[in-house]
Amino acid sequence: MNKFIFFIGVIAFSNSAFAQKKKTYCTVVFETIVNGKKIVLNDSNYTNAFNEKYTVSKLKFYVSNIHLINPTNNKIKKTVYLIDASKTNTIKVSSSNNKIKGISFLLGVDSLDNCSGAQSGALDPLNDMFWTWNNGYIMFKLEGKSGSSKADNNRIEHHIGGYKGANKTMRKIFLPIAENYFKKNNIITIQLNLDSYWKGINQLQIAETAVITTPGGLAKKAADNFEGMFLIKE
Amino acid sequence: MISAAKKMYTPSPIAFVIPKGFPAPPTNIFAKNKLTEEGFQLGKKLFYDARLSKDGEVSCASCHQQFAGFATYDHDLSHGVNNSFSKRNAPALINLAWMKEWHWDGGINHLENQPLSPLSAPNEMGEKLDTVLIKIKADTDYSHLFLKAFGDANITTERMLKAMTQFTGSLVSANSKYDKVKRGEATFILPEEKGYEIFKANCNSCHKEPLFTDNSFRNNGITLNRFGDVGRQAITQDKTDSLKFKVPTLRNIALTLPYLHDGRMQSLDNVINHYTSLDTSIINLDPLLKKKILLSDKEKKQLTLFLYTLTDTSFTKNKRYAP
Repeated sequence: MNKFIFFIGVIAFSNSAFAQKKKTYCTVVFETIVNGKKIVLNDSNYTNAFNEKYTVSKLKFYVSNIHLINPTNNKIKKTVYLIDASKTNTIKVSSSNNKIKGISFLLGVDSLDNCSGAQSGALDPLNDMFWTWNNGYIMFKLEGKSGSSKADNNRIEHHIGGYKGANKTMRKIFLPIAENYFKKNNIITIQLNLDSYWKGINQLQIAETAVITTPGGLAKKAADNFEGMFLIKE
Repeated sequence: MISAAKKMYTPSPIAFVIPKGFPAPPTNIFAKNKLTEEGFQLGKKLFYDARLSKDGEVSCASCHQQFAGFATYDHDLSHGVNNSFSKRNAPALINLAWMKEWHWDGGINHLENQPLSPLSAPNEMGEKLDTVLIKIKADTDYSHLFLKAFGDANITTERMLKAMTQFTGSLVSANSKYDKVKRGEATFILPEEKGYEIFKANCNSCHKEPLFTDNSFRNNGITLNRFGDVGRQAITQDKTDSLKFKVPTLRNIALTLPYLHDGRMQSLDNVINHYTSLDTSIINLDPLLKKKILLSDKEKKQLTLFLYTLTDTSFTKNKRYAP
C-alpha cells in the first residue's frame, strides 16, 4: 500500500516537472508554393492542372484558431493572422510539451469575428479583406492574370468569403505531424500548394470561373478545395 | 505624473436611454464601445466632415440631413462625388440602435461597419480608407479629439468607426405628437385618431409600433428598377428574397420624401395609393399584403394626418445632433 502511494507521488511529481521543463514554443511558418516552387508574385507564369497559364499578383488568407495537438491538450490560440504570400509569415505558438502529434487551424475567420463590428490588427478593414457592401471577411484572396480568363483585362479575381449557413467558406484544416518531425528547432512549416486549389475535390478552371467576388455557391465550391491545399513540409 | 496626465483624458460616460414604451434593442451596439461624451462629439465631427470624401465636397451629412430626419430631402437618389448618383434613396438615420442589420438590403451586419460603405463607394464619398485615415491624422484637431475620447491620440480605423457609431447610434427619435399622446401629454384631433385606427388595422404588422418598423425585409409589390436592384437577394443569394427591402420606419415620414428604396414615389399619397391599388397576384408579394387594403379618399386623408403626427421636431431641431 505504502509503496503504491509513493509510486503515484513520483508520477505526479515527474509529470509536473516535465511540463515545466518542457514548456516549449513552436514556430509555425506558412509558405506558398505552386508547380513545385515558392510563389513569386507578379513574376513567373504558372500552369494549372487544366494547362491554363497564369500569374499571381496577390495571395492573402486568414488563419485562426491554431491548435497544437499533443497528449495534454494545448489551448486553441484564438488570434487571427493574415498570411500574405509577399511576406514571411511566422507565428509563435506555445505548447505545454513537445509531443506534438498534429496541428489544426481554421482557414478563415470564425463567424463571431465576422459580425463583431470594427476591429484592429489582422481584422482591420485597411487590410482590404473586408466586404463593405455585404459585411464579412474575405477568407482567401487570389488575384492574377491569365490568357484563359474571359473576364475584363484577363483578370483572375477570387475573393472567397461568406460566413453564413450553407455558404460559409471557412474550413478547419488538420495536419498530422510525424513523431520524428522535430529536429533541433521547433519549426512547423506548412505549405499551401496552389496547384491543389484549382484541382481538388472540385475543379476550378480559369476559363469558367476567373472571377468569384460574392458569397454563394461558387465561393463554397472553391472553399471545398481549401483542405487539400495544405501539407506539412518534410 | 503620467497617470495624472492620463486622468485628465478619462472620457465621461453617458447613458443610452431607452425611451418609455420602447423595447430593449435586440443587441447592445455599445457593448464593446463605451458611449462617452467625447466619443459622441468626435463621431459628430467626423459625420459632418466633408474632407473625408475624395473631392472634399461630400460628408455623411450631405445625404443624411437633420432637418429631413437624417434622410435626403426631396432627392430620389443620393449625390456622390464628381456629380455621381447612388442607386438608392438615403435611409433616415432614426433609432438605428434597434436594428440588427442596416441598409435597404441588410448588407451591414454591425453599425460600426456601416461608414465603410459610403466612405469607399465610388458613387458616394469615393475615398480609400487609408487616405481617410491619413487626412484625419494630418489634422491636429482630430489628434486632440481622439486623445479626449480614447485616452491617447492613436488614430485607427476601429476608433474612427466606433466614434461614428457613438453619434449615429445615439440618434433617437421618440418625442413626436404620437409619443406625447401615448404618454398622456397630448391628444389626437378626431381625424388623427381615425387615421390611427386605420393605421393599426392595415399598416401596423410591418410598420410596427413604437419603432414603426419591424426591421424585416419584405416584397411590397414594386417592380424591378432600371438598375436591376433585387435588394435582399443580392445579400442572401436566395431567389425568394428577390425585391425584398427593409421596412423603413415611418417616424418623421413627412420629412423623408421621396419614398421607397429608390425614391420612386414622390408623396405619401403615391405610397398609400400603391398599397390600395396593389395587384395581389404578384409573385413573391409579402403574404401580409395578399389581403387587399381598401380605403376611401377620406380614410386616406385621415391616415396621412396620423402619419404627420410622427414628426418629431425635437429630433430634427435638436442642437446636440447639429454640427
